[in-house]
Amino acid sequence: MQHGRRAFFGAGDRQPVVLAALLAVQAFAAVFFVSDVIADFSLGGAGLHTIFEAAVSFALVLGVIFGGLEMRRAMERARRSEAAFSAASGALGDLIQNYFHEWALTPAESEVALFALKGVDLGDIAEMRGSAPGTVRAQLAHIYAKAGVSGRAQLVSLFIEDLLAGPMPGLEGHARSSRERDRAG
Amino acid sequence: MSAAVREGRVRGWDPLVRLTHWGIAAVVLVNGLLDEGGSALHIWLGYGAFSLLALRLVWGLIGTEEARFSAFPPRPAAALGYAREMAKGENSEHRSHNPLGALMVYALWGTLIVVTGTGIAMAGSPLKTLEPRQEVAATFAEHDEAGENRGERDGEEGGVLKEVHEVAANLLLVLAALHVAGVAFETRRFGTGFVRGMVTGTRSDSL
Repeated sequence: MQHGRRAFFGAGDRQPVVLAALLAVQAFAAVFFVSDVIADFSLGGAGLHTIFEAAVSFALVLGVIFGGLEMRRAMERARRSEAAFSAASGALGDLIQNYFHEWALTPAESEVALFALKGVDLGDIAEMRGSAPGTVRAQLAHIYAKAGVSGRAQLVSLFIEDLLAGPMPGLEGHARSSRERDRAG
Repeated sequence: MSAAVREGRVRGWDPLVRLTHWGIAAVVLVNGLLDEGGSALHIWLGYGAFSLLALRLVWGLIGTEEARFSAFPPRPAAALGYAREMAKGENSEHRSHNPLGALMVYALWGTLIVVTGTGIAMAGSPLKTLEPRQEVAATFAEHDEAGENRGERDGEEGGVLKEVHEVAANLLLVLAALHVAGVAFETRRFGTGFVRGMVTGTRSDSL
């Protein structure tokens, strides 16, 4: 879970680093040209060349400022969607725990059910829990019976259905910010 | 460690703050202790540091919440209070610089402005350092020959700038050493998260 989250936000973390480096280069160029313009003005007054250079410098300075504003917006967006994501995953976790409690799953069954929800193979679940595949199969059967579903697909869709039915503030925010991202990108 | 840190709500510094911090730190070390004053490397690094400082100051107006000046206004009274807290071994968490650190930040920036300002005033336009060597050499030769009066006046003005530049640069090194000592002290109190915030941008242990 932690790994998936890192991968999900990794790109968002790298982007500002690149932007910051670009801004530093831009700032250097701006300082370079601005000081040259000042030197030119103090030496020879305002020639056409100097005025053109001054305009370019001004554009560079504006570029730095707008680049900075854009970078802040990008970082704020990333922070918002991160907060929304953790709120949504927290809410899903609560939902799952509530259902497991309601179905009166044993601790062992809860663990197996969680693996099942995450899409882990029966064989892999058995291996991770150090039990026989037959045991896990029996546990899964108990889980499905207690939940009143026919199989894994229905078990998963129970939670999806709940998430889609009631608009959760966290999920709503996440959906909105990813739409924003799509538009921006 | 406070609840805010445990829950990962205290963030490290954003990439721009980290980049400008370490860039300027590197230039201060190289220009202050290693290279020769007035050399092309010294001048170019100085321009680089000035650019990073300018960028950081712009970021202080338009940047992320913790990076803005409004997050760490200079408040000497609060800084004294924080120093008392430190002496008593108490701690309070601050999202941005703590009040004492904030004063150090402004002191460092002010000194940096003096150092880079006088340096740039002496070096002139950066394009001058791009000119072929003979021309620069010729300019200097001209200076030598072009009457003692002009040379002396330039020398006097240059002398004041040079004096201010050197005194401010030494002050900057002392402040930087104090800054490092302050960070070392806080690291003993809070753990390495304090430093990690400036290195990797994540300050809490949970992430």
